This record gives sequence, structure tokens and C-alpha cells, in this order.
Amino acid sequence: MARDKIYNEEKFPSPLQQLWFNFKQTNVAMVGFYGYMFLLILAIFSPMVMPHNAMESNLDVLLLPPAWDKQGNVSYLLGTDSLGRDMLSRLIHGTTLTFGLSFIVVIISLVIGVVLGSLSALTKGIKSSIYNHFLDVILSIPTLLLAIIIVAILGPGLGNTLWAIVISLIPQFIHITHNAVKEEFNKDYVLASRLDGASSLRILQYSVFPNIIEKIVNQATLAQSAAILDIASLGFLGFGAQSPLPEWGTMLFSDLDLFYIAPWTVYLPGLAILFAVLTTNLVGEGLRHAVKMRKEN
Amino acid sequence: MLMFTLRRLSLFFFTMVLLSMLTFSLRYFFPGDMLINLSGQINANTAELKQLAIDYKIHESIFSQYWQYLTNIFHGNLGLSMASQLPISTEISTLLPATIELSIIALTIAMVMGIPLGFIAAIYHRKKIDNIILTFAIVGHSFPVFWLGLLVILIFSIQLAWFPSAGDISLLFEIPQQTGFLFIDILLSNSPYKWQAFNSALAHIFLPASVVALAPATVFIRLARTSMMEVLETSYIQAAKTKGLSFIQIIYHHAIRNALIKMIRHIGLQFANLITFVMITEVIFSWPGIGRWLIVSIGQRDYTAIQNGLLVLSIFIFVVHIFTDFIYAALNPLAREHNHGS
Repeated sequence: MARDKIYNEEKFPSPLQQLWFNFKQTNVAMVGFYGYMFLLILAIFSPMVMPHNAMESNLDVLLLPPAWDKQGNVSYLLGTDSLGRDMLSRLIHGTTLTFGLSFIVVIISLVIGVVLGSLSALTKGIKSSIYNHFLDVILSIPTLLLAIIIVAILGPGLGNTLWAIVISLIPQFIHITHNAVKEEFNKDYVLASRLDGASSLRILQYSVFPNIIEKIVNQATLAQSAAILDIASLGFLGFGAQSPLPEWGTMLFSDLDLFYIAPWTVYLPGLAILFAVLTTNLVGEGLRHAVKMRKEN
Repeated sequence: MLMFTLRRLSLFFFTMVLLSMLTFSLRYFFPGDMLINLSGQINANTAELKQLAIDYKIHESIFSQYWQYLTNIFHGNLGLSMASQLPISTEISTLLPATIELSIIALTIAMVMGIPLGFIAAIYHRKKIDNIILTFAIVGHSFPVFWLGLLVILIFSIQLAWFPSAGDISLLFEIPQQTGFLFIDILLSNSPYKWQAFNSALAHIFLPASVVALAPATVFIRLARTSMMEVLETSYIQAAKTKGLSFIQIIYHHAIRNALIKMIRHIGLQFANLITFVMITEVIFSWPGIGRWLIVSIGQRDYTAIQNGLLVLSIFIFVVHIFTDFIYAALNPLAREHNHGS
């Protein structure tokens, strides 16, 4: 008779799998996760889901209230803004701009930060000290200030502010990776692979990274909620996405003077930002909880 | 403590040098004529420009340019604002105090609200109160500050008309400027309407300060909760319990003090974030502070203002960092010296 298992093999789930297993058990975190996934899918497929063109104005339906209002129209479910553009379509398109771009921004700064952080963890002495001080300087300059400088140099625009946000997020990733790698390198299992003759880079790749990935993912959720707020605030201040683009912060700003006549044009983008940041924070909170649960067991 | 002070001061010096290099290098990146950007004299003629080039040592080596830059900073000679043609140093001396006032009051509100709530949540860990406070913390942390500011203005200034929505004091009061800090100036002035003015200033600062305070308060809730939970699990709390102290005695005499010390360090780290919120809130509430001035300067392409505003705000943040570090070390002997035997 054939035997499936030749050896009495025990399978250990990888740290990431264990994390997911613990994560699934918190209901609130899963709600946040579904919300997050919803936004992510919406951000990718937004051009297909939009009922109207988000940037095309339609003078016949200026400032239409949402559909549940008596004067509303069902084909403009969330009403229209001062140029007759459909709010729902603008919000959906805004998901790509605010939420989708924040995701990309975080990925870019994560990659750069993790590479620089692991390199810095491998250096020692005065070089590492200078490096840390330099990071401290950048860390203590607020994002908005950094963005203002970059906008002053390059001029306003969504792309320029995105670079500002990338630059301001990188130091946090470097910091986290640096400390985590340092901590892992002092552990015995790393010594074991070193005695086997593994080079530092190999140890990083096969031994250290799988064990610190949860810290990095955790930092990524924090960074993303900050990135969403930053993109929206810069849009609101007029430095980020420029007016026809339906970025949530820009939308909020462009209809600000209609706050009392058409409050939905201000409520809805704000709610969208709140929802996006909230789901991201819930996912982050769930991750931290899962890590804690695993450490306790 | 001496070693600690020296180490911190050298760190401060080092960061200041780095920061000044950063702001110095900005002159090569800003668009337009470097000399005009530096001096802010947009209407200078050829002879004046020549004199400026000599003053700023533009044609000499980069090191003497940098040295000249530092000398100018120490002499308070920061050039003119390109938009208003007033010296930057006078502008900053009137604007920075307003920002400091707003940020300190916001920080105080955030601490007074956040830390006790965090402690309560930790004491009732995994009970209903804990859940309610945590939910509040997560939702409050997710609020975009500019939206919150708009909603607060709509509700409290326009619909309820409880608080004014713009500026730092009613225009009816004439307060001579002495220190630049409005509250101190009001108390120093000998106007017969001193207390009315004080009330007006209080009413004006309440809304912006609360808006700024919300997000940091939620961070403090989380930090206070964690540090209190850590303290409650330590062995000295266990020892106090076995000695038969009541729960309230333990919390008041042992837990709160030790948990508070851990908090102080995080306050400095939160400060950079708080300044971001202050800058946005200043725009919404038309607060006459440095953040709003900087944001307006972008629209006016006022490069002199941007360069110096960055320097001043960053120095302010650093000073608060170092200051909280010192308070932490003064209160906590474990932070200033190495543990014996470890």
C-alpha cells in the first residue's frame, strides 16, 4: 500500500501564515479587512464601475441632491456637484487617486526603506551613528513641511506631492527595519546559519526577513493611513491633485464655498476619507493584536 | 546627569548643523534668481544686486557661503519677505508665538483628555469601557483634520453660534504687542477690558485647539493604555497587592506615576505630527500663525519665507524633543545611566 507520507513530517506554518490565522479570529479586524479589500478592488477597477464620467460636467443637473432627497434623481445616486458631475463617479474615481496611490506610495517607500534599513543594520560604528542622526533629522520634519518644500521647488501637482510623501515615509521604514534586523542578528539561529558559512545577505534573505516581515507589514498599515491623510490634506490645501481630478481632498476643497447650499459635496468626500483611513487602521490594529496573540501563545 | 546632558547637547548641536545644511542647500533648488530668493529684495537694481552678492559671498567658495549663512541666522538677518517686503525676523516674531500658543494648548488638551482615558481603559482591560474608549481612539485617529475643522465650524460657530470661527481675538480689542504671546500680552496690558479680552481670546482658541488635539489625544489614549498595562503586570505592583494595599491605593501611589514617566518620551515624538495638524488647522481657522503663513507663501512664491519658516519650525520641534528628553531623564533615573549589572 502506498504511503503518502514517508517521514513523520510536522508542518510548521510560516510566520505570515500564523499571523493570518490569528488575524482571522478577530471579527472587527475582518470587517476592516473586507472594507480594505473593497477599496482596493474599487481602486483597480474604478473606470469600469463608474456610472458616469467623473470629469465631464453636465449643466442640466447642477447641484442635484442625493437620490433619497425629494429632488434627487436615481441615476445620480449621491447627487451632483456645482458643475453637474456625478458625485458617486467622482468618489469612485477618487478611490484610485487617494486610496490606490497611497497604496503605491507605501509600497515604494517600503521597498526603499527596507533595503536601506537592512544595509544600515549591517554597518557599524561611526558610519551607522551619522546615518541614524541624519534619519532623526528627517524624521522630525513634519510631512507637510517637507511637501511644502518639494512643492516650492517642483511646483504643485499630484505627482510631486506623492514624492514628498514617499520621502517622508521612508525614514520610518528604515528605522523599523534597522532595529528589527539588528535584534534578529543577535539571536542564536542566525549564528547557526553563520556557522554554516552563510553570507550576511543570505542570512538576511532566508533567516531574518521571514521573521521580521510582520513588523514591516504593521508599519506599512500605519504608513498607509498617514499617506491617505497626507494626500487628502495636500489636495485640500491646493498643493496636490489639481481641480478637475476627483481626489477626495481636492473635491472637498473645490466645493467648500457651497457647504451650506449643497452640504453633500463636502460631507461625502470627507466620509470617504474617514472610511478609507478607518479600514486601514482596523487592519493595522488587527495585525498588532494577532502578533500579540501569537507571542502570548 | 552631566554625561546625559553633554550627550544630548552634542546631539542637538549635530542635528542643528545637519538641519542648517539642509536649509542652506535649498538655495540651489529654488527656481528664480538665488540672490533675490535669499534676500527677498525683488526690486533691487544692478548696483544693489552687486552689493547683495558681496554680502552673501555668492562668488566665494561654498564653505564661506555657508559660514555667511550661519552668521546671518545668528544676527537675525533673514532677509525680506518677498510678498510683504517686511523683514522675515519681525514676521516670524509675531507669527511664531501664536503657533506656539495654539500647539501648547492643543497638546495640553490632548494630554488631559487622552492620558486619563487611556489609564481607565487599561484598568478596565477587556471590559466594556475599554472597548468604548478603544473604539473612540480608532475612529478619532481616522478623522481627517481639515474635515473635522469644517464640521466643527459648521456646528459650533454657525449653527449653535457658541464660538467664533476665525482669528485669535475679537477685532474690538486692541492689545499692544509685547511678548507676542497673546494671553501674556493681555495680562500685561492695562486695558480696562482686560478680562473681556481674555475671555474672547479663550473662546477663539477653544475650537482650533480642540480640533488639533483630537488625533494626538487618541494616540495618547493608546500609549497610556499600553504603558499602564505594562506597569500593572510588573512585580512591584504584585508586591503592593500582596502587602494588602487597596486597588485605588496601588493605582494612585504606584501605577500612575510609573506609567506617566513612560508617556513623557512619546510626547516629544508626537510633536512633529501635532505641528502638521496645527498648520492645517491654522489655515481653516485663519489663525495668524506661522503654519498658515508658510502655506500662503507657497501660493505667493515667497521663497525667503519658505526657507526660513522651515528652519524656524524645525528648530521649534527639535527644542521640544530635547526638552521632553530632559524631563524624562530628570524624572527617570533609569534613562540617564546604564543599569548596574546589565
